[in-house]
Amino acid sequence: MTAERAPLGDDLIAELSGLLGDRLSLSAAVREQHGRDESYHHPQPPDAVAFVESTDEVVAVVKACAARRVPVIPFGTGTSLEGHVAAVRGGVCIDVTRMDKVLAVNAEDLDVVVQPGVTRKALNEHLRDTGLFFPVDPGANASLGGMVATRASGTNAVRYGTMADVVLSLEVVVADGRVIRTARRARKSAAGYDLTHLFVGSEGTLGVVTEITLKVFGIPEAILAAVVSFPDLDGAVNAVIETIQLGVPIARIELLDEVQMDACNRYSGLDYPVQPTLFLEFHGSEAGVKEQVATVEALCEGHGGGHFQWSTRPEDRTKLWQARHDAAYAAMGLQPGTKPMATDVCVPISRLAECILETKKDIVASGLIAPIVGHVGDGNFHLVLLVDPDDPDDIARAHALNDRMVMRALAMEGTCTGEHGVGLGKMDFLTAEHGEALGLMRAIKRALDPDDIMNPGKIVRV
Amino acid sequence: MDSTRFNPGNAEQVLAVLQWAAGEGATLELVGGGAKRAWGRPVQAEYTLDLAGLSGINLYEPAELVMTLKPGTPMAEVQATLAAQRQRLAFDPPDLGPLLGVDAGGGTIGGAVLTNLAGPGRPRQGAARDHLLGFKGVSGRGEAFKSGGRVVKNVTGFDLSKLMAGSFGTLAALTELSLRVLPIPEKTRTVLLFGAPAADGARAMAAALGSPHDVDAAAFLPAGVAARSAVDYVSGAGESVTALRVEGPGPSVAARCAALRGLLASFGAVEELHTARSETLWRELRDVAPFTGGDGEFADRRQVWRLSTAPSAGPALGQELAEDFDGEWYADWGGGLVWLAIPPRDDAAHHPVRAALAEAGGGHATLMRADAPVRAAVPVFQPQAPALAALGQRVKAGFDPKGILNPGRMDT
Repeated sequence: MTAERAPLGDDLIAELSGLLGDRLSLSAAVREQHGRDESYHHPQPPDAVAFVESTDEVVAVVKACAARRVPVIPFGTGTSLEGHVAAVRGGVCIDVTRMDKVLAVNAEDLDVVVQPGVTRKALNEHLRDTGLFFPVDPGANASLGGMVATRASGTNAVRYGTMADVVLSLEVVVADGRVIRTARRARKSAAGYDLTHLFVGSEGTLGVVTEITLKVFGIPEAILAAVVSFPDLDGAVNAVIETIQLGVPIARIELLDEVQMDACNRYSGLDYPVQPTLFLEFHGSEAGVKEQVATVEALCEGHGGGHFQWSTRPEDRTKLWQARHDAAYAAMGLQPGTKPMATDVCVPISRLAECILETKKDIVASGLIAPIVGHVGDGNFHLVLLVDPDDPDDIARAHALNDRMVMRALAMEGTCTGEHGVGLGKMDFLTAEHGEALGLMRAIKRALDPDDIMNPGKIVRV
Repeated sequence: MDSTRFNPGNAEQVLAVLQWAAGEGATLELVGGGAKRAWGRPVQAEYTLDLAGLSGINLYEPAELVMTLKPGTPMAEVQATLAAQRQRLAFDPPDLGPLLGVDAGGGTIGGAVLTNLAGPGRPRQGAARDHLLGFKGVSGRGEAFKSGGRVVKNVTGFDLSKLMAGSFGTLAALTELSLRVLPIPEKTRTVLLFGAPAADGARAMAAALGSPHDVDAAAFLPAGVAARSAVDYVSGAGESVTALRVEGPGPSVAARCAALRGLLASFGAVEELHTARSETLWRELRDVAPFTGGDGEFADRRQVWRLSTAPSAGPALGQELAEDFDGEWYADWGGGLVWLAIPPRDDAAHHPVRAALAEAGGGHATLMRADAPVRAAVPVFQPQAPALAALGQRVKAGFDPKGILNPGRMDT
């Protein structure tokens, strides 16, 4: 790394301490914790952590840093997967977890206004008695600010979309400390460029999100979940493709390969067949769900799917989906002592089976253990490569495998990441994927953050 | 031959024109079918870049649910090609030709995306922006680039597709687009609620959209607007009509409609429209037919505003403004979109319209139809807060530093 780091000036520390008191932390343990996420990337701690409680405090911190060209890194729950929060040039980490209020629930308009430190589970807890729910569910109980920044998605994306689809408006503190609000509660921003979506997925490189207006949904009348096993991966993927092509409004359709099923059985004490398996969930009215189920059941059977296990009771469904959400932790149990190097790609759905099968051959050749899980309705799948972080050979083999998978996805007109984002881990693939567009992204970054202080060293190098 | 008009036939020629223009600082008006030239501020440009020659579908695999095509492809061709495979553009682009004073059927796919069109299904299906998976284009810097691809999820850096949709040709000239397409539902039905006052209509729409019955569109028509519908059940009502659309496989549509009728019974009398009548009604609402009637000297020449606000606030806002300015209104998107027609005025009533909108909780007011001098004098698009406008200008400068593309079109 060539990144330069200068220690924070005493005057900046004095200014921030004056502002935040003991909510400015310089302790090594706190800094260390804020330089790491859930990935294999080496932690790079910031020089200080500011535990802010309001937009005004974010403004003050950003202005103080901007005046001295000191980097600012927003931080929520630290659950990103590509080193997004690493302070590669030091600077001040803005921890938003104390900005954790749900500011408004507008049930009639199906929207909510939240602070960035609210987590997705906390929001759903808050909504519990309103008949509404928020659908985007990445594996971690991430902060909504972080989910905006990484354009997160999850198992419900087929029916409800990703963060790109549910963010209606943002309040953002930009690099010079100004506060902007991208839209009001109106559904459509017809005024000027869509800056809301410029910030969604910008990984903290354009500003600090301080308030979010989100779309929420009515809790379905009926929910039915099922697990179905297939003799081979092809059959499972083709059942998914046909389901999507028919326009069945299925809520969740997740693939776990036989390696992952083995891991889940062991980790969660289950006894599913160790075969490629789909986890399905249907939402809607009683009649709507019944019909979706009949259609999908027929499609699955047509591709050799059997052993349907249905869950209608909420506690059974929770158990089923907890097993899916725990997939990464379960995978780690396959080879104790290893760390997961999680990676993902997204390809056109017609190439999905081919892409997964080729990747599985590579896994065998690499000698690594790497279960596959996928949001296959979107053409998106994840690989959890189990590596010993202290073994350079392991890391090298994992990188080589990842490189091959990404280049394969790009050759299939796919993308180098459908979910985890760029962070530190996938910057080098962006040139291969975007070419000239990277120049435009750089121009946007320079235009909005001329001194390169907002989470520098991520997405594009300036 | 017009020496101020470029008619490129392929992406290389578009690149050549823009490289030249960027070098010279020559300004260009981008047009495709020319169907939406009257939307936005009148453009003052030295040259015209006519992209109608970039036409045709490059790749359409129905099984993939993705279509890749050139921007000048006529909308009619896109829709016919999709319909032959029982598919459609889920954002259901309106045909705004008649509203904007040109013939119906003149739009192109590029125009639909660059103006970020959305039909009545927007609450559930989103707008063009939400279905643009990727594109190729040439920026105002004279550089060819591409963004996104043919996949539905992509988190690789800034979302340029979202910026491009709704940019009115002020950032780049498109040369290719990839759009997500979806199957046409087997059945469409519409539940009608008669005689609800606007406030009850708003509540009924909110109840329906928040229900588990997958209502995919909700509109409110005051009595006068309902009376001009081509759908007998609507025009014959003699009172307001609240319309709720349900799509999907036959049996589930029937069951969901029955459940909705139960839900709405407390609001008033209900009726149900089947597929053909449903399609007619929603096409009228989508294409703003209530404000495009008449021919020749009897043509509707009222000024038309499109107001975007929180759904619960829309109907009351429409009613208030129609009373104040002797106009008419109706609401789509569950109340979040209000179409307002008022007798022509030099100022298009933009101050009071925007003041009422702010009073109602804020949103965006766009002057959709007015003569060019009015559109040159009045902010067509909602003026932005200074900090936001400044950011927008910096984005524009990133793509088009010399301001050669559609100068003035989006200015407020």
